[in-house]
Amino acid sequence: MRRSGWKIAMALSLAAVLLFPLISGAQEKVIKIGALYPMTGRAGLYGLDSVAAMEMAIAEINAKGGAAGYKLDALYTDSKVKPDYAVHVAKRYIEEDKVNFLFGTVSSGVALAVTEVSKQYKKIFIGTDAAATELTVDNLQPYYFRVSNDTFQSMAAGALYLKGMQAKKPWKKIAFIGPDYAYGHSQWNELRYNLDKLGVKYEVVGEHWPKLAQPDYTPFITTILNQKPDILVAGFWGGDTVAFIKQALPYGLFDKMLYFHPDAGGNYELMSAMGDELPNGLILGARHYNNWPETEGNKAFVDDFHKHTGRYPSYCAEAAYEGIYAIAKAVEKVGNPDDTEALVKAFEGMKLKMPEDPDGFTSYIDPASHQIVQVQAIGVTEPNDKFPPAKKMLGQWKVFKAEDLMPPKDFIEAHTKK
Amino acid sequence: MDFKREFKTLVPALVGFLFFAVLPAVRTSDYQLTIASNTIIWALFAMSFNMLFGMTGMLSFGQALYFGLGGYFVGLLVCHLGAGWFVPAVFLGVLGAGALSLIVGPMVLRLTGVYFTILTLAFAQLGWGIVVKWYDFTNGDDGIQGIIPPGVLGNKVTYYYFCFFLVSLSLWLLWRISLSPFGLILRCVRQNPDRVRFLGRRVKRNQLRIYVLSSMFTALAGALMAGVDNSVSTEMWHWTTSGEVILMCILGGIGQFYGPFAGAVLMILIEDMVGARTEMWSMVIGIIMLVMVLAFPKGVVGEFANLAARLTKKSGGMEVGLGTNTRS
Repeated sequence: MRRSGWKIAMALSLAAVLLFPLISGAQEKVIKIGALYPMTGRAGLYGLDSVAAMEMAIAEINAKGGAAGYKLDALYTDSKVKPDYAVHVAKRYIEEDKVNFLFGTVSSGVALAVTEVSKQYKKIFIGTDAAATELTVDNLQPYYFRVSNDTFQSMAAGALYLKGMQAKKPWKKIAFIGPDYAYGHSQWNELRYNLDKLGVKYEVVGEHWPKLAQPDYTPFITTILNQKPDILVAGFWGGDTVAFIKQALPYGLFDKMLYFHPDAGGNYELMSAMGDELPNGLILGARHYNNWPETEGNKAFVDDFHKHTGRYPSYCAEAAYEGIYAIAKAVEKVGNPDDTEALVKAFEGMKLKMPEDPDGFTSYIDPASHQIVQVQAIGVTEPNDKFPPAKKMLGQWKVFKAEDLMPPKDFIEAHTKK
Repeated sequence: MDFKREFKTLVPALVGFLFFAVLPAVRTSDYQLTIASNTIIWALFAMSFNMLFGMTGMLSFGQALYFGLGGYFVGLLVCHLGAGWFVPAVFLGVLGAGALSLIVGPMVLRLTGVYFTILTLAFAQLGWGIVVKWYDFTNGDDGIQGIIPPGVLGNKVTYYYFCFFLVSLSLWLLWRISLSPFGLILRCVRQNPDRVRFLGRRVKRNQLRIYVLSSMFTALAGALMAGVDNSVSTEMWHWTTSGEVILMCILGGIGQFYGPFAGAVLMILIEDMVGARTEMWSMVIGIIMLVMVLAFPKGVVGEFANLAARLTKKSGGMEVGLGTNTRS
């Protein structure tokens, strides 16, 4: 009977794994926030940075006595970047854990599925990262608010940047490369929409659609070199940006054309991953920068994050941090976290001083689109070793006014009349 | 079949049926209803898949194709033609899957073994690729949202019973199939296809029949899922979905008729409980699968059946519908 003894041991160890310690802290007056972030896989870093920033904000607010007498408490679940699983978790948050707010998501596909749950259950969903313009245009519902830029705002800033450049250093030919899914396509469409709106004359010499996480960009790189664009617009994120730049370097691509990457190119993980290798003179944008604006608020946020985690944050951390502050502010105003309709009113038009706000500007949530309105800056890579392991950071900033970046009426109408 | 044996096979089914039938009335939170809806739908998916895998020995790695098709039939029809199309779309999806599997089936059935598996995977990924790329029609990787069942079905409890009714009916049909002469031939096909030919029965034709039937039930599961989530995503078409259903079957036991049902229940509960507490869910599921495959290859239901048989000093146990030689 040796074999059955072994089986019993296996069964017991299995039971031990399943009876994972149940941790739950029951407090009396709490604001419960149910967060969904990817914590594994390619987008895992964004999720982990967002969670760290959430914890930071929650600790800060609770240390000051919470919001309207309520302490904040958050639950975190790995969304696995799977919309159907995220829907399941969101329902658990609402039905079982009785959260007051849904929070998070990096992937737009996940956010679009979760915003549907938020609509059905009338639970406020604070979006901190997912950038699809659809979330606040086509699929906008009363309980969704986004506290980070969408791709439209980044692309509007990008178009203004390109227009400004044309006046100084004439360019005409433009090419695009970006991942072949919704995120890549919206960037390119929205950039062209904005260029056309500004009356910029340009000629598209190539569009390239590698798949997400493409291992080899060589065929694209050689084609782009043959097409000789003046400007190469890129729409990658995360590891894809690093892979593309590393592979394009030996071909001298960055000497032959301007590399322009206004939505996620300026993410800090690119600087930390590439160190000295990162070429100077790339024009990049992100939704938050560790070294801009040089305000007390931003410095404090970045330093605290570093103290907390031992690393500098990527762009997404700041929106998660501010999302928590937005919730605290809304609850403070309403007096309790349960009156959803009053909370919606409190979010609409809410003014929020964010780390990414330069002096003299305060972000606010547009009551019509539930989208935060923010200043957007675009910078150029240059040597700067103040944020190790990065050796280059962005500088020579160009800053664009928040109001100029919002989707205009005709764009919204064209999208909602489908 | 003597009465005692008949009774033995029906008891678990009846217990399960009653449990899921009264659950909405005795539930302590709405979330239990959500989990139950997910469970019965995935159980249908797993059990219809097991008709291919456990019973006929055809390891298809592409059943996500039909799961996604069912879901997208509902999603697209509701999105383009209105919510009233929900119920017709469920059945049109089932017919659509039947039609598609009649086209794909003869192609994948040209091969056997691992080549068959790879070919089914290829077709499923082809479907996934089309759905992801065809933005104008399928909305690409953004998925389709706002799929609300119309009228009384909009209520969660009624929708649950709608699913429960269709799932029960489907499982009963699958059970009847597994006990029928056709089911017997399918088992022969798994164990010894040559002998099936010697007996004058056609292997390919029977394989195609069960492939089509299984695909239709799979599409039904996908269609019902769309109403639970109120959205569909390209994830439904992805190979990970096909993989998940294989894991469910192995966890529950492929040699038992109810095995995949137990596997679906366990898998959803484990994923839910572990996912809620740690982001290391994949490690936990990995360990569980490792232990299951190494120590309990017959799956939860299979091993319990063995245990019960050993305790009552009888051989056989609850080999409901599928015979004993399940590991061949």
